[in-house]
Amino acid sequence: MLSRTIRRSILDTRVPTSALPPTFLLPNRARYFNSTTQHVDTPPESIYISQLATSPPAEAAETVTPVRRPIRPKVPLPPAPISEPVALDASVKELLPLLAAQPSHYISAHIHAKPYLVTAGDTVRLPFHMPGVVPGDVLRLNRASSLGSRDYTLKGTPYLDERIFECRARVMGTEAEPMRTKEKKKRRNRRINTVKSKHKFTILRIAELKINSLEDIEGSGTESV
Amino acid sequence: MSFFRITLTRSGIGMPKRTQGVLKALGLRHRMATVFYPVTPEVAGQIMRVKELVTVQEVDKALTKEELRAERRPEAGFYLETAAPR
Repeated sequence: MLSRTIRRSILDTRVPTSALPPTFLLPNRARYFNSTTQHVDTPPESIYISQLATSPPAEAAETVTPVRRPIRPKVPLPPAPISEPVALDASVKELLPLLAAQPSHYISAHIHAKPYLVTAGDTVRLPFHMPGVVPGDVLRLNRASSLGSRDYTLKGTPYLDERIFECRARVMGTEAEPMRTKEKKKRRNRRINTVKSKHKFTILRIAELKINSLEDIEGSGTESV
Repeated sequence: MSFFRITLTRSGIGMPKRTQGVLKALGLRHRMATVFYPVTPEVAGQIMRVKELVTVQEVDKALTKEELRAERRPEAGFYLETAAPR
């Protein structure tokens, strides 16, 4: 009697096969059919800049986790505006308008302390997969060690003040390298272990590189004071 | 309350057992390891034993392991200005 009810309950919990779509339409199967060259990955939880600043959603309270670490946003958030005025040397003040007047500029922007020498319109394939960004996101690059034109270069010590320039990069997507296989073999042993690896890389395009005018640079510091 | 911030800059390999024992007592296992101890005569004496191997700073607050890691981590150099609809 009791065993029968147990069996009944087990049968009930099983999902009837008719309720599910055919296997080739299930999400993880369908992905193989709709394979495209451009890999667009969406993060598991949707991230909005305003949402990140507030506390995490209440739905996480259901899961029983004794030690919950504070959720760190994957993408850095905009920093607080700097209140102190920009300290520019007299020679910089004299020559920066000349630099800005020249037609095209380059910048060596540092992302995770690695320099990228770029100009507007360049495509950069980062040597890593940037987490938490999707194609179309606009990143503001705010660390640079040098900024220049054909005849002038402004060098940072070691970095430039971030209010001097505006550099924006658009996330174009991710690129994957061809699958790499490496055979691992130990001596005096027939066993061969094949290790596969396929890394993803984020593609950025430098959308804008602008040098702010002296009035803007000095005005931004005094306004917020 | 102030703390000693002690960083092992030279390895203890090849030193006498007494010196290596002091490094072990301070919890300095490898080069560039950093430990914090309150400023006391005992700790000052230990530092004097290994003063050729360590660099010492006096700080107001002892940092945790995570804070030390965050100190070493370079700046990201970017932030998300406008997010695309997800």
